[in-house]
Amino acid sequence: MSVNIFRAELTFNRRSFLIWAGIIILMLAVYLPFFPYMDSPDYAKLLEGFPDSIKDAMNLSDITFSDINYYYADMVMQYILLLASIYAAMLAGCLISREADLNTAEFLFTRPITRNRIALSKATVLLLLVTLLWVVLYVVAVALGSLTAPGDFDVISQLLVHLSGLLATLATGGIAFAVAPFINTVQGTTSLGVGLGFGFFIIATLSKMTSKLAFLKYFNIYYYAGLREAVSREPFTAGLLVLLSVFLLGVALSIFFLNRKEFTG
Amino acid sequence: MKALVTSNLTKFYGQTRGIEEVTLTVDQGEIFGFIGPNGAGKTTTIRTLMGLIRPTGGEAFIFDTPLPGGGGDLYRQVGYLPGEVNYYPEMTGREMIDYAARFYDAVDKKWVGELFERLQFDPSRRIRTYSTGNRKKLGVIQALLHKPRLAVLDEPTSGLDPLIKQEFFHLLQEMNNNGMTIFFSTHVLEEIERICHRVGVIKEGRLIQVAPLEELPGRQMKLITLRLAGGHPPDALPRRWSRFEPVEGKPGFFQLSVQAPANEITAHLSHLDLEYVKITDPSIEDLFLAMYGPEKGDGHVS
Repeated sequence: MSVNIFRAELTFNRRSFLIWAGIIILMLAVYLPFFPYMDSPDYAKLLEGFPDSIKDAMNLSDITFSDINYYYADMVMQYILLLASIYAAMLAGCLISREADLNTAEFLFTRPITRNRIALSKATVLLLLVTLLWVVLYVVAVALGSLTAPGDFDVISQLLVHLSGLLATLATGGIAFAVAPFINTVQGTTSLGVGLGFGFFIIATLSKMTSKLAFLKYFNIYYYAGLREAVSREPFTAGLLVLLSVFLLGVALSIFFLNRKEFTG
Repeated sequence: MKALVTSNLTKFYGQTRGIEEVTLTVDQGEIFGFIGPNGAGKTTTIRTLMGLIRPTGGEAFIFDTPLPGGGGDLYRQVGYLPGEVNYYPEMTGREMIDYAARFYDAVDKKWVGELFERLQFDPSRRIRTYSTGNRKKLGVIQALLHKPRLAVLDEPTSGLDPLIKQEFFHLLQEMNNNGMTIFFSTHVLEEIERICHRVGVIKEGRLIQVAPLEELPGRQMKLITLRLAGGHPPDALPRRWSRFEPVEGKPGFFQLSVQAPANEITAHLSHLDLEYVKITDPSIEDLFLAMYGPEKGDGHVS
């Protein structure tokens, strides 16, 4: 890894980090304090009218509304995960594609440093910023959760939920990192990020709607996060290992493709 | 040890020719000019040497280290200035130079300050606000800040004003005197004449000549522009001097490129009743035409 590139990339990407962290925190701050209203009998009655498949698709099960920990992990977290995944994919794509987009590849890739080290430095920035995002989210969630339902917000199970979310986000970032050497514009990486984030979200929703589409869950990164298991303090270890592997494989593939990429100007 | 060696270096982009079997050697301490028309393969050759693109055939060595496998550390000894200079727009000039300097061991800050001063570069502004000339200066500084053993410069003077260009050549000359090898491409013959020891000429992807400049065909060519009293055509000249062409938009003016010793030219011209005469060196385009143009071989270019 190169500390020089690492530092420069942190500087380049700090603004987008602050913006995305702000947006996600805002969303968390809007959704989490809603728990007491969701926990009311009126709302439960309203939900009774919903078909089961719709309730499943939208994570609107009974347990979701009787316990703030499940409400957070099932309801709020799916939107956090969606936004965090889009951010991670966009960041990963941008880290790699910006050099081709700005034509700075002629500078960076002619320095006395191998492409492996360049890619690893950028992957470390991805790892650090995504981890930092989830640490911040955890701290904010604990603070708001404790205020919303004093004594009920379980910091240990929520730590597992956030850890699972972190790995799912990193896996999405890893996929984008692997694809990024083929994308030569930062604009292209925005489409990639939004596409991956919403793609997984839609797959997750479809896979819960009918048993015929249940197999789709295996193509969904969020499935491997196992948020329901995490909040029960029984993390889906195999799934988490899959997520970690996807991230590492993504980085390895990115290095492989980057070493073969030609910069023709 | 040679500074730079290419052997049958070839690059095809699919079916499209980049360069074909380029073989050349640059000695340490040499200033080597690389010239050719647009699309001839100069930049492809340079990008291949810098590891940005992979050759489809042949091999290249920098200080005896093979490319592209020898990348990374090898480039510690190389300073590269691309033809089009692009950096991170949100950085200031100083931040960019500091970033570039940290890739090398112990860059001499005094030397960097001297480069700023000599090239009259203001490093305090953001790169996105720089003009083309200032970007070029930034490029020159980042290419030379670590005092490389080999400088690879792709069209280094485009965008620089004449005074800075002058200082830039002094700088290159000084660094060359201190042992730096220079490989640079250009369109400007004057620049080659000024500092190059040898010249490589590339055309349609093939290196067609490597020689000291004075040995290039057409090098002795002179461009004569004249006007005779009354604006009459110059017809009292030897047969091979009879191809004067009228200068467009300047009635009574005629022009001819001729390869002949200076005393022969003046001897012939002395018989004419001249109202105006100008004898100049050929442009690089004229040289190319002399070497490869349709009238190659008869010593005339019009």
